[in-house]
Amino acid sequence: MNGRLRDHGSTLLVASLASGFGVLLLQVTGILGAVVLADDTTGSSATVKTMLDVVALVFVAIAVYVAAVTTANTVATIVAGRTRVIALLRLIGSSARTQRATIAREGLVVGLVGAVLGALVGTAAAWGIGAVGVATEQIPAFEYSYWTPVLLVPMVAVVLTTWLSAWTGSRRVLAVRPAEALGSSGEQSAEELGRRTGRTATGVTLIVLGVLALAGGVLVGLVHPAGVLVGVVGGILSFTGVVLVADRIMPAVLRAVGRWFGTTPPARLAAENAVRNPERSTRMTIGLVIGVTLVTMFAVTMETYRDAMYAVMEGQENVEAMLGPVIDGTVAVFSVLVGFSALIAAVGLVNTLSVSVLQRTREIGLLRALGFDRRQVRVMILAEAAALTVAATLTGLVLGFVYGWAGAQAMLGSMTGEPALLAPAVPWVVLAIIVVAAAALTALASLAPARRAGRVSPVVALAVE
Amino acid sequence: MQITPSDLGLIARAVGLTKRYGSAANPVTALDDVSLGLRRGEFTAIMGPSGSGKSTLMHLLAGLDQATSGQVWLGDTDITELPDAALTVLRRRRIGFVFQSFNLVPTLDVEANILLPFELDGRKPSGIERAWIDELVDALGLRARLRHRPHELSGGQQQRVAIARALATKPDLLFADEPTGNLDSRTGREVLALLADAAKTHGQSIAMVTHDPVAASFADRILYLSDGRIVRDSVRSTPEEISSYMLAMEAAA
Repeated sequence: MNGRLRDHGSTLLVASLASGFGVLLLQVTGILGAVVLADDTTGSSATVKTMLDVVALVFVAIAVYVAAVTTANTVATIVAGRTRVIALLRLIGSSARTQRATIAREGLVVGLVGAVLGALVGTAAAWGIGAVGVATEQIPAFEYSYWTPVLLVPMVAVVLTTWLSAWTGSRRVLAVRPAEALGSSGEQSAEELGRRTGRTATGVTLIVLGVLALAGGVLVGLVHPAGVLVGVVGGILSFTGVVLVADRIMPAVLRAVGRWFGTTPPARLAAENAVRNPERSTRMTIGLVIGVTLVTMFAVTMETYRDAMYAVMEGQENVEAMLGPVIDGTVAVFSVLVGFSALIAAVGLVNTLSVSVLQRTREIGLLRALGFDRRQVRVMILAEAAALTVAATLTGLVLGFVYGWAGAQAMLGSMTGEPALLAPAVPWVVLAIIVVAAAALTALASLAPARRAGRVSPVVALAVE
Repeated sequence: MQITPSDLGLIARAVGLTKRYGSAANPVTALDDVSLGLRRGEFTAIMGPSGSGKSTLMHLLAGLDQATSGQVWLGDTDITELPDAALTVLRRRRIGFVFQSFNLVPTLDVEANILLPFELDGRKPSGIERAWIDELVDALGLRARLRHRPHELSGGQQQRVAIARALATKPDLLFADEPTGNLDSRTGREVLALLADAAKTHGQSIAMVTHDPVAASFADRILYLSDGRIVRDSVRSTPEEISSYMLAMEAAA
């Protein structure tokens, strides 16, 4: 069991990050609540505390969701690598259900350990932030116990989702045939498309309804700022739909992006590799798509808001000085909070790419034997990583811009008293940070696998197992 | 003036080839001072039981591995000390491979697999090469399969694609490593007949590693390896002759 748990290092990290993030966020919210309570002049601190908790829980939910998708993918990748062992155990007489239950149980253990570990680290970090805040006199001394029942929410959520994701991700165990232990079977390209029509239909319905609501929000927004509320409903509906049909969208985007890399053999193979397992690729990218979409959306809305305010208040010099830092600060806080989910997705992407390259050692040996030089092998892996991050980033940017503009339009379309169309403003700084982060992620994700792949000897292609 | 391998009618030559694995204190000798020449246009089988060093010999001849001592020529090129980049280009242009299994890139269709060696060289096949590839595709019965992916093909079809790819560049030497190891005996014989025909009709030099007497009986020449040494060099033989020699070799061991 020990050796098997070692496979779950990345899942443990993901579970710890999600739990740690959730607990840290709630602890900081708790500290803020305690500070407000100590300084309660309005008597509204309880309401403020509840609001902060709700906002925090929304971010926690996003992080836990991304962590769950990431974990399901990691487990599916691990199962693919364990096929021979599973087949052997099946051959000896173990049932597929038992095998799957074992993996789910591993997920439960990892989830428990990750949740506790994350909670400890998150609490320690919150305590550190509070201590530094008081020491530097940013906040007054406060009474806070570092224990509230609400902390159990992210912890339990992480345990349950890790368990559930391990179960979902191990679905392929059921398809492993005992005979696979015997043959020297190379990796099969397991394309499990189709049979998802129900989910796709739901997704498409949600997108259609969501887009209609979004359009309605924009129209209402031309006469009344309440349009934004209609728009928010449309945004949630349509984005949920996009996530549901991601397994149809992402492979197509990956193919299109792969084509940009040219027609040299490394580029072509990289493009094919990025979609050889559409389900895996979708799960590798969807977390990033969610993160980039939310960050972009918020930044575009706020930037458009800023432009609109400056335009309306033209000539009043102190408006820029007052409004500017508030907008920048809000965008920064929101980006960091959402960015954390993107970080979790990135951990999954780095790990999955690394493992899937490892599982392709023999194929890389074949390419080396046929005349791929080391550099071409490395370029191939780098291009595969780039295709994944570029596809995720682009999709997120496009969605983010649409949602961001729709939100701003619905909110501000009636601002001048008569219906007006706003041009979406481009948040250059945030865009630059996203692009740099995507590039850094590509480099990070491909560095170790590319180096390892470059060292694969062509002899492994000839090795008879 | 030195005599080059090609003056001798050889496509590949090895002199004093030795390969040791393991630590200096406890070395395992896979290949022990082997010298040989493979003749141009000939189908040579390298026979031997498991662990006889036949795969090691092939790796060294194909420039896939470095010898502990000794020298290897492909044509007139001394490949013993060639750096990895030069060896890679050599494999692309002058060597063809057919392996026992996992011969094809799973993400590419049949045609792309066949054309891969040209693409790796950054060029399109010339008109003459194109005609040769078309001829191969028809001769190997792959015309209807060009758009298929490897996993859609039977084992025999996959081997035929591998042969088409290996022959497409008209390499100096085609290496086949247990090419029929994963096939049923009838399909195996078809594949062997294709290789023998490539040598006979097109003068393709082939070196095939095998432990199967039936496979070896298709070759013009058979080299027997045992414990890292060549113990016999024979002309074309029947499967029965090869089997009885192998059995005698085992009995002596």
